[in-house]
Amino acid sequence: MQEILSDLRLYRRLIVIQIRGQMQYKLNIVIDILTYFAVTGLEFVTMLLYFVPFPTMLGWRVGEVAMLAAVTSFSFGIAELFGAGIDVFDETIRRGDFDRVLLRPVEALILVASSEFRLRRLGRMTQGMLGFALALVLLHGVDWTPLKLIALLMGIVSGSFIFVSILLLGATMCFWTVQTTELTSSLYYGGREMLSYPITIYHQALQRFLLFVIPLAFGTFLPTCYLLDRPLPMGLPVWVTFLAPVVGLGFASVAVWVWGFGVRRYQSTGS
Amino acid sequence: MLRFYIEVARTAFRRQLIYRWANIAGLITNIVFGIIFSYVMIALFQVRSMAGGYDLKDALRYVWLVQSLVMVVLTFGWYDLMLTIRSGEVVSDLSKPCDFYWYWFSREIGRSCYYLFYRALPTYLAGMLLFGFGAPLPLDWRLWLAFMLSLPVGAMIGIAYRFLFNIAAFWILEARALGTLATVIALVFTGNYVPLPFFPGWLHAIADWLPFSGLMNVPAQIFLGKLTGVPMLLEFLRQSLWLVVLTLIVRAVTTQATRRVVAQGG
Repeated sequence: MQEILSDLRLYRRLIVIQIRGQMQYKLNIVIDILTYFAVTGLEFVTMLLYFVPFPTMLGWRVGEVAMLAAVTSFSFGIAELFGAGIDVFDETIRRGDFDRVLLRPVEALILVASSEFRLRRLGRMTQGMLGFALALVLLHGVDWTPLKLIALLMGIVSGSFIFVSILLLGATMCFWTVQTTELTSSLYYGGREMLSYPITIYHQALQRFLLFVIPLAFGTFLPTCYLLDRPLPMGLPVWVTFLAPVVGLGFASVAVWVWGFGVRRYQSTGS
Repeated sequence: MLRFYIEVARTAFRRQLIYRWANIAGLITNIVFGIIFSYVMIALFQVRSMAGGYDLKDALRYVWLVQSLVMVVLTFGWYDLMLTIRSGEVVSDLSKPCDFYWYWFSREIGRSCYYLFYRALPTYLAGMLLFGFGAPLPLDWRLWLAFMLSLPVGAMIGIAYRFLFNIAAFWILEARALGTLATVIALVFTGNYVPLPFFPGWLHAIADWLPFSGLMNVPAQIFLGKLTGVPMLLEFLRQSLWLVVLTLIVRAVTTQATRRVVAQGG
């Protein structure tokens, strides 16, 4: 326990240093955040254009899909913010920098995760929040209950954990393949895209995959269903929504365990 | 001189051949996104069978065509030129005994040809196999000729456009965010996310007059047989006109930019 706490303190310290560094170029960072916001916002609004010729998407109205996409975007935004160091891990391996990381008397994952922290990713989170507000307007409000709020917040955080875990699994593959495999990229970005629409539109096999293999659906889809009083997919009972933290942490634990296995097997690139 | 540019293009083509795994990875990404958007279309077309003159089959073909062509016309995240400006390598390219723009243009043409064969064809074939929508009918040679004329114009518009936002690096050192925004705007208005025929009327009208329609939308509409006869000729004319205008702008800006170059020794 003591160790975990000191690791977390170190992590916070390294992140604060990164933020301070980026704040040195204030104008630059503001432009970066705004541009990133514009990019994600444009993609979000464009998606809503589907609902000009079509009234619904398999029974989902425009406001509901907007809500789903906004929640996914926000959850993904958190993952992007905190997972950047893991995302660029193939660079770290290729340059041979990971050997140096291993020499330090600190948990390697902490150093890798805190090696990058891109403030511009706040742009996507801002877009997610504004998208959420827009969805509320389109839906003329939602019947809020405390349980719904809890489910939503737990889901968003769990979703971020799963997204970062995908990155971590991809990073682990770098120990063997040196280059990052775009397979994880497809899962990471493809997963975000997939979760921006109701998963019920996909093939049964794909739905099962998103629920039980890479359980991203627990992060954003199930809580959004619960929030909008919609039945869960595949006849799942409503209480399953509240399993999100268990599923998220479980998936993350598997990813961390696989990563640890990779670290123990790591042989340098020799460059 | 033309021989030189052709050689540059061929070298770029061959250089691309080396990145076999990167291409396969990219192919997987294109296929994944093709699958996602196909299911989106299938779900949408449940409530009505026609939209903007498209039926489901047209929409599926469109989705896979877009995934096939996007790398041919506008590579996402293309900052090659920008990086040479940042690193100073640009000086060596500027001092080559050839035109700076045509040099990059030839390189990119080589890459586009590579992506046509090694990315576009396999992606579209994958779509045909996965969703069984078949080849676009009718198999009219005039249609194919028109497509084969319109696609290169689209690709050349793409080259001029990305050259333009890359060259901004002569003024702003970190222009990558700007480049991403410029790319996404172009992709939205060429129907990369939602096909232009689904746009509301007024937005469609605006999109028609932007240069981006010529990137992917015009070749795609021709391919799907939605654009024929006189309207097709007019669209082709508009597309070609934009190519000329963009090329002239790029060349003017390049002249301005290269005048500013101060090479540092070292």
